[in-house]
Amino acid sequence: MKFVDEFRDAELGRALAGEILAGVEPGRHYKLMEVCGGHTHSIYKYAIDDLLPENVELVHGPGCPVCVIPMGRVDDGIALARQEGVIFTCFGDMLRVPGSDGSFLDAKAQGADIRMVYSPLDALRMAKANPEREVIFFAIGFETTAPSTALTLMRAKAEGVENFSVMCNHVTIVPPLRALLDSPDLRLDGFIGPGHVCTVVGARPFEFIPADYGKPLVVSGFEPLDVLQSVHMILTQLAEDRREVENQYTRVVPYEGNLKALEVLGRVFELRPHFEWRGLGFISQSALKLSAAYADFDAEERFSVPGVRVADPKACQCGEVLKGVIKPWECKVFGTACTPERPIGTCMVSPEGACAAYYNYGRFSQEREAV
Amino acid sequence: MSSCHHTSGCITCGDEAVAMEVLKTDEERGLALCADERGRRETVEIALVDAAEGDTLMVHAATAIARVDGAPA
Repeated sequence: MKFVDEFRDAELGRALAGEILAGVEPGRHYKLMEVCGGHTHSIYKYAIDDLLPENVELVHGPGCPVCVIPMGRVDDGIALARQEGVIFTCFGDMLRVPGSDGSFLDAKAQGADIRMVYSPLDALRMAKANPEREVIFFAIGFETTAPSTALTLMRAKAEGVENFSVMCNHVTIVPPLRALLDSPDLRLDGFIGPGHVCTVVGARPFEFIPADYGKPLVVSGFEPLDVLQSVHMILTQLAEDRREVENQYTRVVPYEGNLKALEVLGRVFELRPHFEWRGLGFISQSALKLSAAYADFDAEERFSVPGVRVADPKACQCGEVLKGVIKPWECKVFGTACTPERPIGTCMVSPEGACAAYYNYGRFSQEREAV
Repeated sequence: MSSCHHTSGCITCGDEAVAMEVLKTDEERGLALCADERGRRETVEIALVDAAEGDTLMVHAATAIARVDGAPA
């Protein structure tokens, strides 16, 4: 397919890897964070880290929308799902995320009417088809996903669908990045920027990274050549002593973002004062709630929600993985007590979670090295 | 085209947008029929992009969030 196949060309990939190798300073260690879980998945799926010099290390960031949902929000969602007459809907990966007393899948097995949807529009269709039931959509995701929820709410309002509501867990990427950069135990040389978030918000919101923290960021696509080229661009900036936001993904990302999407987001959502992130704690103005104009569709206003805070399991080190402090395989329960089939931590649930991505792809290359 | 397996993944949860070609548009309803690289078809919300037949869109959660313009990377 056009715009896909040409970014998977093995010959070009090897050539780019050669340029990267030629450009690195021997003896210098480069630590780059891929912010987005989609990049983590691509890196392991295509074994991109095997193509990089040993002194270029990729660490995984907080950009997996499933991985950052705290247990308390799952518990709140399950409490809503168990209410009489409710059809509770959410994306597939979310079903397996453990709360303090089981996951949505467990609650479904115990009788709650919980259904997987592919988009919020599916949930709205379900509400229209079941006017005697209350349909709740458990919304997760960064700025990439929030426009879809916003458009669905605008349709629901325009069509007067009164039995549809949203439990909003949409989060924004800039505040956790700032929190990470302020963390004293993290040393990074640059960032592979989240291409699909930037499709919506543009590259401008990331200018604080070079301006305030002196680190380069390159907005990157998700095909193997995109990621390799982005690594090359970051290393080139470092070699030339430049610190800028650059856009590798120009075929998709306009520097100013999608203005129509931003307008829709501004109409439907407003910032929460604070929101809890799995492993990162409470971060100010890092999540969205429905605006006053859409408060009638807010499931947390319409129903009683416990709102209890639950500490992460002690054995789980998702927080350190999300901050790039440890690698997935350095977690005490990785691949033993915690697997994609029976996850303890959220990073093992979503394929974009660093632990699941490494479990499914990366461990094979480590096994090869061991042999 | 949704899949939620731990290897193939859930593209919606994964913050991933998929390139799809526009086969037909319905301007009145703000929708388009699109196909991905494997030919799988899906109805896509196009309120946020200018889309015409033959365009490639980046689609996430059944919503087009960008049009691919082919400028060199």
